[in-house]
Amino acid sequence: MNRQPSPPLFLLRLFRWFCDPRIVEDIEGDLVERFEKRVKNKGHKKAKRLFIKDVFRLFRPGIIRSVAGSQKLNPFGMLKNNIKVARRQLMRNKMYSSIKIGGFSIGIAVCLLIALFIRDELNYDQHIGNRDNLFMVVNEYNNNGDIEKFTWFPPPFSEAIGNDFPEVLYSGRMLFNDYFGAGSASIRRDGQVVNIFDDGFAFADQSILDMFGYEMTNGDAKQALSQPRTLVMTQSRADLLFPESNPIGQIVYVNDDTEKPYTVTGVLADLPANSTIKFDYLLSLKEQEFLVRSQNSWGSNNYQVFVQLQNPGLEEQLAPKLDAIKTNYWLPSLKKAGYADAEEIAKSYHYSLLPISDLHLQSGDINDPFEKGDIKYIWTISLIAFFVLSLACINFINLSTAKSANRAKEVGLRKTIGSTKGNLVRQFLTESILFSLFSFVLALVLVLLALPQFNQLTEKSITLPWNTLWFIPILFSASLALGVIAGLYPAFYLSRFTPIKVIKGSVSQGSKNSQLRNIMVVFQFVASIILIIATLVVNDQLKFILTKDLGFEKEKVILLQNTDLLGNSAKTFRTELAKSPMIESISFGGYLPISGTKRNGNMWWNDGRTKIDDGVVGQNWRVDQHYLETLGIELISGRNFSIDLKTDSMAIVINESMAESLGFSEDPIGKRITSYINNSVVYTVIGVVKDFHFEAMHNPIAPLALRLRNDQSTSAIRVKADQMNEVIDLIQNTWDKTAPNQPFIYEFLDQRFSSMYSEIEKNKRILTVFAILAIIIACLGLLGLSIFMIQQKNKEICVRIALGAKPLQILGLLGTSFMKPIVLSFFIALPVAWYMMGRWLNDFAYNVGLNFGPFFQAGFAAILIALITIGFQSIKASNTNPAIGLKDE
Amino acid sequence: MGKNHLGEFEEIVMLTVAILHGEAYGVAIIEEMETRLNRSVSIGSLQVVLKRLEEKGYLTSELGQATKVRGGKRKRFFTVTNLGKEMLQTSKEQRNSLWNAVPEFSLKAISL
Repeated sequence: MNRQPSPPLFLLRLFRWFCDPRIVEDIEGDLVERFEKRVKNKGHKKAKRLFIKDVFRLFRPGIIRSVAGSQKLNPFGMLKNNIKVARRQLMRNKMYSSIKIGGFSIGIAVCLLIALFIRDELNYDQHIGNRDNLFMVVNEYNNNGDIEKFTWFPPPFSEAIGNDFPEVLYSGRMLFNDYFGAGSASIRRDGQVVNIFDDGFAFADQSILDMFGYEMTNGDAKQALSQPRTLVMTQSRADLLFPESNPIGQIVYVNDDTEKPYTVTGVLADLPANSTIKFDYLLSLKEQEFLVRSQNSWGSNNYQVFVQLQNPGLEEQLAPKLDAIKTNYWLPSLKKAGYADAEEIAKSYHYSLLPISDLHLQSGDINDPFEKGDIKYIWTISLIAFFVLSLACINFINLSTAKSANRAKEVGLRKTIGSTKGNLVRQFLTESILFSLFSFVLALVLVLLALPQFNQLTEKSITLPWNTLWFIPILFSASLALGVIAGLYPAFYLSRFTPIKVIKGSVSQGSKNSQLRNIMVVFQFVASIILIIATLVVNDQLKFILTKDLGFEKEKVILLQNTDLLGNSAKTFRTELAKSPMIESISFGGYLPISGTKRNGNMWWNDGRTKIDDGVVGQNWRVDQHYLETLGIELISGRNFSIDLKTDSMAIVINESMAESLGFSEDPIGKRITSYINNSVVYTVIGVVKDFHFEAMHNPIAPLALRLRNDQSTSAIRVKADQMNEVIDLIQNTWDKTAPNQPFIYEFLDQRFSSMYSEIEKNKRILTVFAILAIIIACLGLLGLSIFMIQQKNKEICVRIALGAKPLQILGLLGTSFMKPIVLSFFIALPVAWYMMGRWLNDFAYNVGLNFGPFFQAGFAAILIALITIGFQSIKASNTNPAIGLKDE
Repeated sequence: MGKNHLGEFEEIVMLTVAILHGEAYGVAIIEEMETRLNRSVSIGSLQVVLKRLEEKGYLTSELGQATKVRGGKRKRFFTVTNLGKEMLQTSKEQRNSLWNAVPEFSLKAISL
């Protein structure tokens, strides 16, 4: 036969490519046949041309293959089947499935909450537009090798830094010190008598507004604070104070000080919840004089200094030059004040810059007035999140493989029919992804339920970011990924079974798996026991603090805020109240034995030794003659102040710690001490009080001196009656009479005292939650192990039952083998917890001490919980009909 | 009638398949139509109709044996199903009833 002329191969290939594969063969045959016939009848050329025409006319819907490809139909069908099988599996073992999904979703929920928390922490101060070139100035004090960082500076520091360095665009100060009236205060409009008691007062320079770029809803941000006695407030406060009128230009009084009226010059949008630098009112620092001629003095450190640089990146150039301020300004002032070792003192200080973006998380070692987070904490909780999630995954794996016997026959049958290993892996993965999806949905519900509590605990206002584009896709892909991760091992494990063995009925896979399980259970129980011990110890310490003898009596004392507003009628108020038999005594004074009330730290020397001795750091409080009586502080020698003695204005009462620090070995009464470096004012000690706790119990009681001075900001009232309501009504009536229309704000001293330890209370609650979660997760691990073990020992158990073993004996048989890992984990947890809690307690100068009580309680609790978990399974196992377990043989 | 209505080309294809009785595959159908009706048909338009008729259930097909011709590709042979036969029958009856209703003179005038 002659060589056949062939149709153009290129076109034929094109046709094969675009044609639906199901019909390609016969149509191609038709094409070729037609071509061959045409070659015979009409010649090669024409046939070729007609062939081209035919191919192009085949390029039409119905012939072209579908874009998705026809082969996809098959896996989809399989997927449908896999999902159906997974659903049946889920419904068939309801209890088992709910344990699996429940455990997994708890882990995911914890992780999700922690992730939201971390996101919130990382988003702090992100709203500040200039954060790349905004810095806070830090003062580093080298205390014989220990670097102590703080951020308080003398008043002229900011101006000096702005004038002397061309890199600085703006420099400005903020003042948060409550000694000068920042913090909480009362405020009222001109023309109204009612004061509003509020906190969030701070002082600031105009340049602070320029630097931070706060959004101003009303007023001119460029010069709102540029004039003396001007004030800006946030929108929410403006709405409160000026509900109908325009606040701009209005007069307000702070602390009822009508001699110093403030003009409202601006309203700021409320600061975002995640701002480190928080305030609601900014008062202009322009021409403010808190102390006589203080604004030009380099002698006191009270101001936070911020700088904005000309452009980002200049900080490296600027930072080394900052110490010039020290040598140019501060050192001369030290010399002038008469410090012989001025050079030495100045040498131990160094100035540096802290980027504002590091303020929230990276400045844990810096002492400043802001509430901050801690990057170490973020790392720790990230680790916890990872840990919890991996434990949840491991448990998921554990429970999936533990139930393998139930699935073994299915696997065997599927393999016999012709299923490949790949098919089975896919089937089990589908199942675990389905479980994972369910768990994610449940976890979201849990998070929604827990979020209010969680926000309360963390003092945040976190919400689920539904409205962001990434949230749902990330959750979805995370659930797929977790499903695959958690399902991979069970999938391979289950699909490995050989049909012949499975159907014969022997699925005992090696014991090394149970070894792995044992290790995991030990691990989980170590974590749980440590957490239980920590919870118990923290609880003990908290109880210790709240019941300890404090040196003052915190019960039945009412604190009245805002008594500044009484003005000159304070005396009337006191005499009016004192008439009632329900009132025991009244003391005016803002210095209270509660953290967060007024403080005034000074250096103290013996008379005439200021240039010789180092000096003792101690508090210098202004109190009245009723202070000791009202707070129930015991005087151990000497006498109390007397208002009738003129000389008592120079008298002083000290605590034992001060007496000891100043080296008064014999009776300190009559000794003369001073807090002035130039020895200009000297006080005479007239009494010594027993040490009382005036700060949290982390540090030993510090030296303290009390002076008779008028300070009216708060009033402490000791009452007799048991009927607190009556007493409060009485006080309020008296208040309303003497200070009509002023806000009546009271607290109880003992409540304020407990709130000092709210941080520990918070830790206790967090620990409790984690301990419970850890126990749940550990129990799931144990459950997985016990199901697996019972399955392994199924025949033994059945034979024993058949021979007459009682349920308790079965429990004994299983229990002893389970108790080993629990007891082992107790002995691992013991020293770890001992060390950790020892370190925690060391933070307190006054602590409850370590004893074995909580340790044994925790161990006992762990063993009990484990026993219940195992017991349930054991009883179930011993109640099965042995015939069922043995019939496979 | 609706979707069960047969198009003109569909009807011709089905009739041709019936004529070829067991020997109806792509090229054969085209050649049969070309010779009998003097009508040129492309493979594309024929295949689309064949596929559609098969989906409707009027035709069924099976692949034949591979031969040396046509590049070794198998032929797909079509046959009319019972449903298809019924369909053809109804179609024919409908036309007949239409023909019968036409008055004779109106057609004569055209034929002249």
